[in-house]
Amino acid sequence: MTTETRTRTEELTINMGPQHPSTHGVLRLVLTVDGERVVEVVPHIGYLHSSMEKIAEHLTYQQYLPYADRYDYLNAMGNELAYVMAVEKLLGIQPTPRCQYIRVMMAEMNRIASHLVYFGTLGNDVGAISVFLYCFREREALLDLFEAVSGQRMLYHYFRIGGLRNDLPDDFCDGLAQFLDYFPSRIDEYDRLLTKNRIFRSRMEGVGYLSPEDALSFGVTGPCVRGSGVDYDIRRADAYYIYPQLEFDVPVFAEGDAMARHLVRQEEMRQSVRILQQCVEKLPRGEVNVKVPRRIKPDPGETYARVESPRGELGCYLISDGTEKPYRLHWRAPSFHNMQAYPVMCKDAWIADMVAILGSIDIVLADIDR
Amino acid sequence: MSVLSAITTWLRDALEGICQRYGIPLLAVDILAWLTAAVSVIALVLLIVLFFVYLERKVSGYVQTRLGPMRVGPIGLFQTPMDALKLLLKEDIVPRGADKILHTLGPVLFFVAAMLGYVVIPWDAKATIARHVDLNIGILYVTAVASVGIIGLIMAGWGSNNKWSLLGAMRSAAQMISYEVPMLLAIICVVMQAQSLSLGQIVNSQQGTWLLGWYCWRPWLWLPLILFFIAATAEVNRVPFDIPEAESELVAGYHTEYSGMKFGLFFLTEFANVFIVGLVGATLFFGGWLSPFGNPDPLHIPGFFWLMAKALAIVIFLMWVRWTLPRLRVDQLMALAWKLLIPAGFLAIFIVAVVLLYV
Amino acid sequence: MTRGRQRLEPTFANLLLIVLEGAWSIVVGLSVTFINFWRKKVTDRYPHRDPNRNWQPRPGYRGDFALITDKETGKLRCIACQQCQKICPDQCILVVPEGKGKERHPTEFYIDAGLCMYCWLCVEVCPADAITMTPDYETATDNPRKLIRDLDYLRGGVVKASG
Repeated sequence: MTTETRTRTEELTINMGPQHPSTHGVLRLVLTVDGERVVEVVPHIGYLHSSMEKIAEHLTYQQYLPYADRYDYLNAMGNELAYVMAVEKLLGIQPTPRCQYIRVMMAEMNRIASHLVYFGTLGNDVGAISVFLYCFREREALLDLFEAVSGQRMLYHYFRIGGLRNDLPDDFCDGLAQFLDYFPSRIDEYDRLLTKNRIFRSRMEGVGYLSPEDALSFGVTGPCVRGSGVDYDIRRADAYYIYPQLEFDVPVFAEGDAMARHLVRQEEMRQSVRILQQCVEKLPRGEVNVKVPRRIKPDPGETYARVESPRGELGCYLISDGTEKPYRLHWRAPSFHNMQAYPVMCKDAWIADMVAILGSIDIVLADIDR
Repeated sequence: MSVLSAITTWLRDALEGICQRYGIPLLAVDILAWLTAAVSVIALVLLIVLFFVYLERKVSGYVQTRLGPMRVGPIGLFQTPMDALKLLLKEDIVPRGADKILHTLGPVLFFVAAMLGYVVIPWDAKATIARHVDLNIGILYVTAVASVGIIGLIMAGWGSNNKWSLLGAMRSAAQMISYEVPMLLAIICVVMQAQSLSLGQIVNSQQGTWLLGWYCWRPWLWLPLILFFIAATAEVNRVPFDIPEAESELVAGYHTEYSGMKFGLFFLTEFANVFIVGLVGATLFFGGWLSPFGNPDPLHIPGFFWLMAKALAIVIFLMWVRWTLPRLRVDQLMALAWKLLIPAGFLAIFIVAVVLLYV
Repeated sequence: MTRGRQRLEPTFANLLLIVLEGAWSIVVGLSVTFINFWRKKVTDRYPHRDPNRNWQPRPGYRGDFALITDKETGKLRCIACQQCQKICPDQCILVVPEGKGKERHPTEFYIDAGLCMYCWLCVEVCPADAITMTPDYETATDNPRKLIRDLDYLRGGVVKASG
């Protein structure tokens, strides 16, 4: 078959971001598309770089703590936890049992809050806008609790080296229990509204496949790797604080697509509720603070502390040279490593899929760029 | 005869009397009547569209356990007029490298095409814009005019000199052309049932005791009804078929580069289109201006009111759907139209034909 | 099978199943939004607060700054030790001391609220318990210069009994 004029097609290069509604901040993706099909995607990061690691070298150990909040702003308590753990490891301090419980509670509450933001933004990305508002309604209740505890709604600065800013207020456990009572039914609601929806499922199922081998070789952690069928959760693999004494499941889905990652997060919210319920029940009485010297000067040495953040393995690598200020601090940022797998996931994707996949990785740009 | 028609008839008689006395040709009355009708319908439509924008924000607010606009005027009623005013006052930005003519003409064409659809809507018994002319191919005209709007969108998308706009325009072209087919198939079923292409005739053939004559009560027309609303939602680019302007994917699709009143025109036109869907849907399946309490209406409520009420209910339903569902992907959207809705449309025609022949 | 998820066989029965199941899922979704339509609205109409709603920040909220005046002496508790100035990670505090020993007091005290990140470290470090943050969160202004709190501004804050 010969025709005189051939249609010549060309690939189109599009800049997605840094200003784009669904790049979750200021991520820039350079897309090469063939019609609506994505041929190549190159993420450009660094637009939100804030020298989080360099700042630490100029501040004392206590002074850096509020900055830890600001680095992954959706998981402020988790960041504080990682940093505080690292410093306490350097100092050789073990926090009191009550303090450990409260820290775990805060981290789990923050996990729920972060997953709620994920849930809402994913709904927004695929076009279901109401879910966003529902999730933020529930998150508001959590933020109120955080406010009661720490005096701030988002960047708490609640943990201190060797303890906490203050003990829990008296009515905190009641408030939390009340939230835990109704929250599972709200998860069911999201499930009915979004997760079970046929359109949503057809948008998410089979999209953004990540094989377990790829996931491991890219250093993907958290819900993303558990969505690829790898059972790896720091709370189990390198259990810290009271996690060994708590009963909870680590949800693992083997499908490896965006839906699997979504389901992992949805299930994790339920598991966090379980953990919190146990914590409220078991919360011991006693002191929350351990005596620490006013001037913190750890012996020269280095340490690495890691926690399971809502996005994966959040590590804090700290080198002390014996002075009041850290010699070097490095964040092992889960979003940064998860983002590396994004071009692989976007193989053969449609433009619309890219947004859904990006949503399913649940990146926080401040976490990537630090 | 309803109140509305009584008034118009009286007015017309009076005018004709004046013309006869001063020897003016009667055509003048006709032209005057048409102009009045056209202007009043455009004004009415714009008013109603402004109200719909407000309603959408209110509905979305309530669905999302918010209050929606509350500040401007009582319960925020003046919010959209104020927004329209703001859009009018805003700077009109034409991007560098844009095709100025297409960039300007796009929204205008889109708007005009939407307004043309209102010409044949039977607001009441014998009350279309062209008074005596209940266009005998009314429904065909509506669909034909509706598809003109696509050209406006493509002009806007191409003329903006923006890749996102272009993608949005291409999507909208593909989508609207695809979904016209199932919509027409669904309409054909109604036409077969009513034995007429005229909207007035379609309404008249739905006369019956109370509301039982409406086509929505005939089981063999349920499939066309569903098809019509799915396809019509896609035609007016609403969730779950809003991919031409999918905010999270294409920034704003074909109107990414628009600002000021040009954007306002797009915005108004979209709602005007939604209103047309409500009106046509009500006319085709819910008895148009017929009263649910039997005809003529025992309460002497004008048919105009009933048509509005039905259209409003349909529009609210569409809003409810919009704030519930996620959006489809572009290939799934096409697959839905070509692989599911069109075969279903043919099946519907077949069913209706069999029913009409043998039942 | 490279992809993780099994796909349904494209048979007619499966298609019908998907369509029906999809329609049902949409109906279920609609019911959820319908329920929420009638739920109590969460909008907080700031600044027209609903008096029945608990909206006041909890005690310990980190808002605007104040220097605490001692109730008995009627003087600021601040002894101008400059510890807050030293610990502040943002270096947004400036204290100019005067006098020696018990007489030591600040002649100037500046806090730049635009720089501050409300970390509460200055409050914790203060040996005289003289600086605090009030629950006042309405500190927005049209001019960043107004965000610099001076001694007069800070003095007008909190009065507390000693001890």
